[in-house]
Amino acid sequence: MGLVQNVVFGLVQGSYIAIAAIGFTMIYGIVNMINFAYGEYLTIGAFVGVIAAGLFPLPVAALVAMVGAGVASIVLAKLFFTPINETGPVPMLLTSIGLGLVLRNVIRLTAGRSARYYDTQTTTYEFTGIPDVPVGSVDLFGNFFVTSEHLVVVACAVAVFAILHTLLTRTDVGIAMRAMSDDEDLARVRGIDTQMIRNSVWILAGVLAGLAGVLIGIQTNVSVTTGFSQILQILAAAILGGAGSPYGAIAGSYIIGLVLALSTAFLPPSMTGISSAIAFLVLVGVLLVKPSGIAGQEVREA
Amino acid sequence: MVSDGTNGLDRRTFLKITGGGGLAATAGCIGLGGGGSGGDIVIGQPAAQTGQWDFLQPGVTAATDVAIQHINDAGGPLDREIDLQRRDTAVNPNEARTVVTQLIENDDAVALLGLFSSEINPLFEFLQEQETPVVTPWPGSNFLDTRGGDKGTPDDLSDDGWVWRTVISDTVHTAGAALRALDQDHETVGVINGNTEGARSWADGFINAYESNGGTIAERVEVSQGAASYQSALDRLFGNDFSAFAVSLPLEDAITMMSDWADGNYGSQPILSDPLAQQDLVDQVGDPLNGAWAASPGESGPNYDAFESAYNDAGKEATINAWTPPAWDATMVTALAIERAGEATAEAVEQNLGPVSRGPGTEVATFQEGKEALNNGDEINYQGAATDVTFTDFGNVVGSVVINQVQDGEFTQVETISAEELRQFVPEGEY
Repeated sequence: MGLVQNVVFGLVQGSYIAIAAIGFTMIYGIVNMINFAYGEYLTIGAFVGVIAAGLFPLPVAALVAMVGAGVASIVLAKLFFTPINETGPVPMLLTSIGLGLVLRNVIRLTAGRSARYYDTQTTTYEFTGIPDVPVGSVDLFGNFFVTSEHLVVVACAVAVFAILHTLLTRTDVGIAMRAMSDDEDLARVRGIDTQMIRNSVWILAGVLAGLAGVLIGIQTNVSVTTGFSQILQILAAAILGGAGSPYGAIAGSYIIGLVLALSTAFLPPSMTGISSAIAFLVLVGVLLVKPSGIAGQEVREA
Repeated sequence: MVSDGTNGLDRRTFLKITGGGGLAATAGCIGLGGGGSGGDIVIGQPAAQTGQWDFLQPGVTAATDVAIQHINDAGGPLDREIDLQRRDTAVNPNEARTVVTQLIENDDAVALLGLFSSEINPLFEFLQEQETPVVTPWPGSNFLDTRGGDKGTPDDLSDDGWVWRTVISDTVHTAGAALRALDQDHETVGVINGNTEGARSWADGFINAYESNGGTIAERVEVSQGAASYQSALDRLFGNDFSAFAVSLPLEDAITMMSDWADGNYGSQPILSDPLAQQDLVDQVGDPLNGAWAASPGESGPNYDAFESAYNDAGKEATINAWTPPAWDATMVTALAIERAGEATAEAVEQNLGPVSRGPGTEVATFQEGKEALNNGDEINYQGAATDVTFTDFGNVVGSVVINQVQDGEFTQVETISAEELRQFVPEGEY
């Protein structure tokens, strides 16, 4: 095992970060706020999913989780963010931090402290025949494996990317979202129902968070900190890609995922515990070269 | 003329004020809410009711409650009842600092029965400033090997460490794990651990004992806890040749990691840190975990049966884990220290924890026996459930280690390594 195996791990990790980061970055681009409570939307989705999985097959449970997180997202937006929409980004940011804390504790009180687990049957597919190329103590290539969970995560991500692309390029709502992202005032003057678009974004972001929560839950477990532990990586991916750009968020997520996997695998032993910090170093490095992020400028020109 | 209604209001207000004042005065006289000279004696319990280690708390909570019930039923120390105040720290050092302050300043606790190594180690200086004894059933940390206790001079508080533990150190039980690994001919192992104090301390203790007895560490990988995947870390670890690997992580992370390990068919013999001897781990990881084992603090106290009987009679649902008997011991020895001191103050407890545990004196198994002996003018030597609770000068105990191995889908106790065997790993005067 070596480079190929860790690239597989990085792609899987990048996939679920990407699904979440798209929702996160769309809220930033269209509602114009950094929503630190977004991690809790993942947790809500994960918990709804694990409860639903006790009643329905997993794909149906995942759909229930997406609907649940979508409903939670729009309800929370109406209750906490819409009323202060005109106060500027800082009050919105602080409100989202506070809301995140409240949600985390409400989840803890209602769902309990114990972790929950999806009942999944893992199948491992092993691939052999890639010749080893040892460099020092590290085998660069070699055999590798993927599991059924890996395939589900990547397949879901590809499906989300395809649907998102179709939505943004082929539907009135998607085109209106892009228009609002570019210039909200101009979009309003051109007759776009901006409030409806905002609502759509909240729901879409919630749905994506719900899916991401279920996918993370399938790989690990569902606990109060399921989403919170991912929020920094989601934030890093969104900023790296160019805040507000869904396509950039996808690219940023895969970079973060690969950096996390490869840094853990290949950095000196004393640095293996700080792979998240390495991901942020990469983020800072990219922003020094391109302050708007990978796709920030391109989106503005689209 | 003043209306009746106003008169009524005035009267009620007057009654409220005088009643409240009277109640407060009475409470002050009888000592409610403090150690003082009457009323209940408050003991604090900083607890892991939430957070990554919360799965260990129920057994400790139950054992403490049963012990206090027994103590109070026996008349209580100084013929007063113990009032236990339990507050959640979530094993977060910042929360722990707040909770300790609240328990000492607001609740007037004369001793604390808790705190994990993740809380004690970073707060050690702070705890010294509080000058309130911490008698904990939790921390295996080797950080405390030479820092706690009374240094063998009970009357002299100036050299005291104020931390006592009724559970064996990582130095002792990781030595048990190392000893068994070597006995099983695992001459080279890998180690993977989390980056928190407790997880790291276990790994450090294991590595020290293992290497000093001839073993070789092929690779040690430290990981950030809370990750959604540990596959890269495992891939790195298993890029080396070894026959067994040691895992030190909180339960939820360990389930994720060991599931990743099972999915990747990495093989090799898992050696688990002591908190991981949990059925949840087996249930979630499944058959690949068969054969994995953990070395946990044992039940080598001379009076384990007395504890177990009391615990079962109380009908507690929480499963007894490695920290349950030490929680019983911590409560008992603290109450006996108050009884011997003749007063319920933090200083008095600190000065008497050593004398009631080290002997010489009448060996006692329960508070009731100890109280009677002390009232007869005898010295006592508390003999505990987890160990014999003979505190060293640094406030530590030495006890046996039990090996729990996963067999047919559940942990089964397969071996006990005696305290005598393990003493060779504990340098004289350094524990």
